[in-house]
Amino acid sequence: MGDKAAKAPVSMEAKLAQLRAQYALKIEQRVDALQALVQDLDGAEDSVRSNTLTQLRDETHKLAGSGATFGFPGVTLYAREMEQACVQSLATDTGAKDTDGVLVMIANLVDLCEKLRRATNEQEQVPEQGQKQEQAEALTVRPRPAIPELHDSFRQKVLFIMEYDGPTAMQILLEMDHFGFDARIINHPSKLMNDLQANDDVDVIVTGLTFGGDDEVALKVLSDLRKDNAHKDMPVVVHTSLESMKARLGAVRAGVKAYLLKPVDMADLVDVLDHVTMRHEDEPFRVLVVDDDESLASHTELVLQGSGMETRMTTDPMGVFEVLDDFSPELILLDLYMPGCDGQDIAAVIRQREEYAGIPIVFLSGEADKTKQLSAMEMGGDDFLTKPIQASHLISSVRIRAGRFRELRSFMVRDSMTGLFNHTTTKQLLDTEIARVQRSGADLALVSLDIDHFKNVNDTYGHSVGDRVIKSLARLLRQRLRSADVIGRMGGEEFAAILPESGLEQAAHVCEQIRQAFSEIVFHTAGAKFNVTISCGVAAYKDHNTATTLSDAADKALYTAKNGGRNQVVKAD
Amino acid sequence: MGEGGFNKVLYVEDDLDIQVVAQMALETVGGLTLCVCSSGQEAIDKASDFDPDMILLDVMMPEMDGPTTLVNLRAIEKLQKTPAVFMTAKVMPSDVERYKKLGAVDVIAKPFDPMTLATRIQSIWSECHGG
Repeated sequence: MGDKAAKAPVSMEAKLAQLRAQYALKIEQRVDALQALVQDLDGAEDSVRSNTLTQLRDETHKLAGSGATFGFPGVTLYAREMEQACVQSLATDTGAKDTDGVLVMIANLVDLCEKLRRATNEQEQVPEQGQKQEQAEALTVRPRPAIPELHDSFRQKVLFIMEYDGPTAMQILLEMDHFGFDARIINHPSKLMNDLQANDDVDVIVTGLTFGGDDEVALKVLSDLRKDNAHKDMPVVVHTSLESMKARLGAVRAGVKAYLLKPVDMADLVDVLDHVTMRHEDEPFRVLVVDDDESLASHTELVLQGSGMETRMTTDPMGVFEVLDDFSPELILLDLYMPGCDGQDIAAVIRQREEYAGIPIVFLSGEADKTKQLSAMEMGGDDFLTKPIQASHLISSVRIRAGRFRELRSFMVRDSMTGLFNHTTTKQLLDTEIARVQRSGADLALVSLDIDHFKNVNDTYGHSVGDRVIKSLARLLRQRLRSADVIGRMGGEEFAAILPESGLEQAAHVCEQIRQAFSEIVFHTAGAKFNVTISCGVAAYKDHNTATTLSDAADKALYTAKNGGRNQVVKAD
Repeated sequence: MGEGGFNKVLYVEDDLDIQVVAQMALETVGGLTLCVCSSGQEAIDKASDFDPDMILLDVMMPEMDGPTTLVNLRAIEKLQKTPAVFMTAKVMPSDVERYKKLGAVDVIAKPFDPMTLATRIQSIWSECHGG
């Protein structure tokens, strides 16, 4: 784009908005006129009908050519259909002899005219063009919660909304904005590549599939996207009313991560977006290999490491517990026959320790006797692999079991609604963190956090809305705090955060920003919009140096915040 | 002043709404000078004096349509080689061929995006001039 192309874009935007508004005012009258013309067709003489159709054709042609320019893509769509219907009728009209044909034609035009009228109520927001982002913001109605930077690592996720239907795009944009996404609209797939080149920070794309009646174009562009190295892994989520297998298959082939059918619940969409944009730095599975034959054990380790797993090996069955506590594996590969003790005895001993009762144990052995294999399983093994074992079998057996274990454990330590740590785990982690700072002497802060008047939200809007509020707060906390911070849902509307290496002031500052950001989120429910606030109590390890006193101090500060009128952050004495 | 002496565009369009928005797009964003005509006849009357660097024409207009207008404009000696671009709501491949035979260098589909129209026009101009 030449220099002057960027000249005075603000006034262009402003003028454009004005023109769009003017066009919007006129368009209904134009549709009225069209409707009158369509009504004239009924019972008209052949020559009159032909004239009227010509008028209709010309007028709809104009509308088709201008609608989307002024932000009415639906007008372009239906006006074009009407235009084509007129052209066809003009070409095939056999006159009054074919009364039925004329009636069908009129009925079709009446129907299209009605669709056109509805489309006049659906003006989209001004499409933003990459680098004109900032200027455009001054003009559009986007309420942007001014979310300040909290930690350096924090960045709003950038979302492209590719959608032909203006109002739908706008609705998604507004909702996603509330959930902290930096959303931008693209009204046609043909612009995607350019816009992606202009914005190298895009995290995820939400797209419709039908653009101007074309169900293929979006998938075609997305398939092309996969061929572009820079974007081949871009997560894409489809929301559409197309239910056909063909469309779904096409989406899968175009690398689409999720396929949502309209109408899409915005909370679901947020969940999906969070899921697909989660940095899947999939932690490698940790596998402990116990085998008295060092060369065999090393070989097993190599195979597993080759598939990205982390391994630890011990040739001394007696030293297994030491390694267990140090390495905390997610699966143990155990040789069945070792000098000094049997693999199955070791398995039984491991199982007696509460914290390892659920860990998968897989026996590796040359033992081909099924009976002996089964008896080993009875002693606490989960699977039995016979040596020599194919590398691919070993890998998939380990991966499946370790994956299941990881998932199970997450159910035990996490709150199912928010995915935050549950009460028990949070308490345990606080103990761990305190033990750590006692050694290192570093700072540590604890935050007690509570949603204000939460019962009112539940009573007024229902529990599902209340759940949404809780999820939103959980999401905000995850977004704003560092990965090293521990965030827990302590029950109901109570949360806690453990912030390592943060002093009282720092932690209070962070909380203040979170408090403010949360108060700016607008919750929508049938016919109502509302805001919710939170109160925080912050305490520092330096002033309260046991888990109990620290928790008590944070709680006490929280009560002070509540008594002081809520929606505030209070530092413990 | 436009790039490489590109500045004046003769623009023919009967739809007033489109006229206004395109004019704004080309003048405000593109920094071009426009001579806006609402009919083919008006364009033929004004073209010689205006001496455009480029001709931008709507295809479907009452009385004289875009292609006919262009044929008439080509009859004016200094406009014989002026790059011409059609704008149309109906882009059929067969039509594009026909327009190109009439000396059009490109076809812009309607509805267009007012924010990028100027860029589009400028790149068409650059292509015509080996840019």
